[in-house]
Amino acid sequence: MLQTLKLLLPALIPSWRFFDTIAPSPRIEFTLLKTELDASGRWQEFRPRPARLPIGSMLKRLFWNPRWNESLFLVSCAERLMASPTEHSSQEILNRIEAELQRKSIDVSATPYLQFRLVFLSREGAQLQRHITFISPIHRHFGNADS
Amino acid sequence: MSLDDAVRLTEILLALAFLQQSIEHIDAPRDERRLFLPRIFLSILLLLGFQTQWVCLALVLLGLLILRRFQGPYNGGSDRMSLLILCCLSLVYFMPTLRWQEYIFGYLALQLVLSYFVAGWVKIVNPEWRKGRALQDVFGFSAYPVSEALRTWADRPRLLCVMSWAVMLFELVFPLTLLTQTTLLVGLTIAAAFHFGNACLFGFNRFFWIWLAAYPSILWLQQRVFD
Repeated sequence: MLQTLKLLLPALIPSWRFFDTIAPSPRIEFTLLKTELDASGRWQEFRPRPARLPIGSMLKRLFWNPRWNESLFLVSCAERLMASPTEHSSQEILNRIEAELQRKSIDVSATPYLQFRLVFLSREGAQLQRHITFISPIHRHFGNADS
Repeated sequence: MSLDDAVRLTEILLALAFLQQSIEHIDAPRDERRLFLPRIFLSILLLLGFQTQWVCLALVLLGLLILRRFQGPYNGGSDRMSLLILCCLSLVYFMPTLRWQEYIFGYLALQLVLSYFVAGWVKIVNPEWRKGRALQDVFGFSAYPVSEALRTWADRPRLLCVMSWAVMLFELVFPLTLLTQTTLLVGLTIAAAFHFGNACLFGFNRFFWIWLAAYPSILWLQQRVFD
């Protein structure tokens, strides 16, 4: 309970330091593997943004934007995982990748193992840099029966 | 606007914002739905004005369970503002005197002003923001632009420098809009347009609705203090 009240405190006395600095920005990438020892998987970005988004879709998202808000939550989980690693953040990312695979009906029978990694993008001088900061253990993909 | 009217308008806007947030969790995993379906029900009661003090208290308790479920806010600043408004509303109902009710509702209005002023201050003291470089980074590599096409805005440094200064100056002068009702209405219209832009460009739709829900408090405070 004390922990929950600690989480409430920043809401009651907020800092409002929106975008004070532009910190390195996380991307979540995942790969599907044939076995636990398989190292041949191709990393792909989780939920890449569309090339373009029409104005109509932007306006619709004012009312209905669940996937994007979930992606923002996963950005928080990735940042938390780097700041103070917990099983919760790692599990949230894993569960939501699994749910997305199931939602898209992607056949994982030949590649039943799942791994994700965090890539942080930052600018150094004029160059964009990519740093892999976290690689998860390999998980057996069972599908998310709870979604 | 009387305190009662401002509180009631806040209840209605908060209920609508909560409905919008909660409906987005309808097809989420079961443990999330268990938290957000009751929130939809309670939000409808709040919208209807039914037993609002107990409904708000129940929403606060549910808010704590949601915080615990996600080990923090699900949606950063918008969740924090949601909880702030909700806690202030709940406290208003349980305060013993009108004076204390006004202090609590005034605190919400003060936090709304600070949400703009502090955000402007932390930007303007940062040279990267003053040069427009920070906003280039937001478009260039942050996780927020809703499409790849928006990333090309990072290649327009002059435009982004102007936009940076417009945002910083507006946020910093926002407290001055309290001087008259007309200037406050103009300020809130610009602020709402700013949130609308953020919702379109960065997908921050929840911020748009929840910040609107705090506006009655500042309209009431302006009238209470300056009229």
